[in-house]
Order: sequence, then C-alpha cells, then structure tokens
Amino acid sequence: MSTIAECMIAFVFGTAVGLLVQRSRFCNTAALRDAMMFSTYRNTKALLVAMMILTVGFTAFMTVGAGHPLDFDVGLNTFLGLFLFGLGMVLAGACTVSTWVKAAEGNVGAVWALLFTFIGMFLFSLLWSYNQWPPAPASMTGDPNPEALQAGFANARTLQEKTGIPAIVFGLIQFAVLAAIYRAIRRKEQAREKDEASE
Amino acid sequence: MELFRKTLDPVFALAVIAVLDIFLFLTVGAWTVGGGETMMTGLIAQAFLGDELKRLPFWTLVFEPHWDYWKMYISLGMFFGAFIGAVASKEFYLRVPRRLSEWVMITLGGLLMGIGIRLAFVCNVSTFFGLTPEMNLGGYLAVSGIIAGAWVGSLIYKKMLEG
Repeated sequence: MSTIAECMIAFVFGTAVGLLVQRSRFCNTAALRDAMMFSTYRNTKALLVAMMILTVGFTAFMTVGAGHPLDFDVGLNTFLGLFLFGLGMVLAGACTVSTWVKAAEGNVGAVWALLFTFIGMFLFSLLWSYNQWPPAPASMTGDPNPEALQAGFANARTLQEKTGIPAIVFGLIQFAVLAAIYRAIRRKEQAREKDEASE
Repeated sequence: MELFRKTLDPVFALAVIAVLDIFLFLTVGAWTVGGGETMMTGLIAQAFLGDELKRLPFWTLVFEPHWDYWKMYISLGMFFGAFIGAVASKEFYLRVPRRLSEWVMITLGGLLMGIGIRLAFVCNVSTFFGLTPEMNLGGYLAVSGIIAGAWVGSLIYKKMLEG
C-alpha cells in the first residue's frame, strides 16, 4: 500500500473517531479518574467494551498471521512512562484523544495542554539524545536485556508460536477477564440504583 | 440530524470505534496518537531549527521527521471530525481556563504526558486500543503504570478540589 493511501485511511479513521468521541463525550481520563474518585463508570464501561471487541478481533486475526501488531521491546520505561502519563492526564483533565477533541470544540486549555505535550516530547528528545535510554527501536532484539531494563517482546502471536495454542484462545481468556470486570461494575451500579430507589 | 441533537451512548460509540480499529489494524496498524504527535513535534522543531535538529540523535535514530507518517493523520482527522461534530451540534465556543491553578495543572499535565509518551514509546490509546488487545507484554506494564499514575493524580486532584 502506498504511503499516501495509508495517510488517507488514517485520516478517514481519525475523522470517524473524532466525530464519535465528540458526540459521545467519551474520555479516557474520566474512565480512570471517575472510577477512582467518584465510583462512576460511564466511560470505564465503554473502554472495557472496546477492549473486549478488540481483544477478540485482534487475536482472531493474529491466529492466522493477519494484521499489523505493534512490535518493539518493552521494559521498566513502559511502566514509568505511562505512570507519568496517567499522572499528567488527570492533572491536565484530558488525554491524547480528548486534547484533540476538546481543542476542536474551542477549548483553549486543551490547545495549551497539546502545546505542552509537544514541548514535553521535545524535552525528552534532549534527554534521550544524552543518555539514549530506552534503547532505540533499531537496536531492539526482542529478547530480555536486563542491563537496559528491557523485558523483550511478547504478544498473542509469540504465545501461539511458543505453545502451539492458537492466539484466539488466549484472547478469549482475556475477553472473559474483561467481561468479569464489566459484570462486577454493572452489579455495583445495580446495587446502587436499588439503594437509591428504596430511599 | 439526530446524531447532532443528542449525546451518543459511549458504549455504542466505542464499540463502533473498536470495529473500525480492527479494520485499521488489518490495513496499517492499530489506533495510536502518541507517535503522530511525536512526528508533529519533530516537524515543528525542524521548522524552527532546520538542520541543527540533526545534532540531536533522537531525531535521526528514533523519529526522523517526515510528512508521510500515517499516524500523524489520525490526530488531524480526529481534530477535523470533532470540529464537524462540535459545529453541527452547536457545541463550538471558546472556553478559557479562568484560574491560575488550572493553567498550572494543564501545563504540568501536558509536559508529563509528552515526557511519559516518549519514555514509554506508547500513549494511552496504544495501551488500551493496541497493545493490551494484542496481549503484548507492554500492554500490561502500561496499564499498570497508567492506573498507578491516575491514582496518584486523583489524590492530588482531590486535595486541590478540597483546598
């Protein structure tokens, strides 16, 4: 596929996502923050449903060798990076998606958050250019590299290769775990609704 | 049009996005935002610094700025789609944070998000809509990290609300 076709597909996908997120007021930050702070799960349930569909879809296609899974080594930096990100998104009140969506609604704070996300990325590029950690993608091997605090690479496809069990089987196990979390949330909501109705 | 008159159920919206994401996964790769934002950062930096940017190995070894990077167009598409949605539903208007504390939190939050994305090589979108559904080890590390970070962030946020 030509790069222009790739860019056009990405733009059409992004347009549909932007429209759906704007009209549904979905927010990834709220999916975590509201569940932790207010025990409300409007966005958390939506996130779980998406993850259930994606887990089955991705692992089904990965079973037959289709699709383009992300392929790079992970390690301590993955945990630390998302820790900083999680902290930052709650402080900013927006994640990568909602900054773009809110900016498109005329929210100046979201534009500011986006600007400082870019500045944060540039500052990190200065630091990386000095210490070159985590390793650049070209030097990744897929194997654990304790010196660089890297755990290597593993996904549903490598599990299938190592065990001979189709990737979709692992996907269905993950689906069941996500569905159990969703069910627990629904039960909690129903118990609350019952309490409110009896008051 | 009904779509622009009432708010969509987020479960329905995210289910549709998930199906579209599977198509994207089959053609180019799963939905992501952080990579495209990094490329935009590189292009903006290149516009200001020119060839001087090449003195920073990050921009030659990790992200060499170029315009035909498909991930960048997802973000531009999201902006465009959300703008159409906001204008058509009459929800577009300028909102400016009023308090200094809000500006400080947004500034700090934005910086942490940018640094965090580049340190991890992934963003929240790749975490929930790419890595974890692919059952990538990084997805579980990233989910643990983002939950821990959001929890600490929520404690700080709560303190600020109380204060």
